Amino acid sequence: MPTAGLKTIIALSFVLAVGFLLVILSCALWHSYYPLLVVATYILAPVPNWICGHCANPDDFVESSGAAVLDLGRFFTGFLVVMGIALPVLLAHSNLISTPAMVMSIIGGLLIYGTIISFAMFFQEEQDF
Amino acid sequence: MEEDRLWKFRRPEWLNSVWARNAGVYAAGGLFSLAFFTLLDSAVWSKSGFNGSALHVTFVDWLPFIFSSLGMLIINSVEKARLSADSFSYSGSGVAWKARVVLFLGFAALAGGMAGGVTVFVLKFAVPGVPFPALTMGIENLVANALVGLSSVVLWVSQNMEDEYSYNLSL
Repeated sequence: MPTAGLKTIIALSFVLAVGFLLVILSCALWHSYYPLLVVATYILAPVPNWICGHCANPDDFVESSGAAVLDLGRFFTGFLVVMGIALPVLLAHSNLISTPAMVMSIIGGLLIYGTIISFAMFFQEEQDF
Repeated sequence: MEEDRLWKFRRPEWLNSVWARNAGVYAAGGLFSLAFFTLLDSAVWSKSGFNGSALHVTFVDWLPFIFSSLGMLIINSVEKARLSADSFSYSGSGVAWKARVVLFLGFAALAGGMAGGVTVFVLKFAVPGVPFPALTMGIENLVANALVGLSSVVLWVSQNMEDEYSYNLSL
């Protein structure tokens, strides 16, 4: 696990700002504010994993219900991550947003989610043990 | 352990890792999401300006998907370890039998949902001879039900991997 320094924080916040810029531009340029749902989706995406991670005891191998709760969280996180890509495609297919707006919101959403994931990876070490 | 192996080809080692198991569960969630949004896409498209035909997605088109999802929920809620617990082990009062009945109901709901999707496609789209842009709604219904089935297969396989993994770890 690489050590997270000041440069990492600056780079991550820069990437997050670029992601938000892309999503907001994709809304504002075409006056259709549906792509903001992508931001909500990607912010909600780590939440099931987080909640179920606190509910379960992963060291408990005798009773496998703990692993089942963890799996439930992973299932919903996977659901939300794919939803963030599928939602702009759906909106563009029905002409609710235009195709460039779809591309911009998908790229922006992936940047936002990548920032959240790498932030959690870099700063997870302090929580364990 | 090696003596009672049934198949000629053994499972590769990397399949037993935690990484592969978690990736399988994430992939199952993603596949289910794809299924849901394929169906939602057909519903939104049917109300949009592109749909020139008189056909629209109604509750009937959603019903097969509801049944498949219900079957998937039932199948993956059953504790798999109770299935192999036969009469000789500690599973009192026929737990294995109950698990088989519930699993049968789940698979029946899943297969019934898929068959219902085919029925809706044939009766609503194929027999009246709907032309192509509107036919996409029927095809998306079929694809959505197939994706639910695929998702439950992936989830089932990765949960079985988990059993092997915890077995290896507890030794």
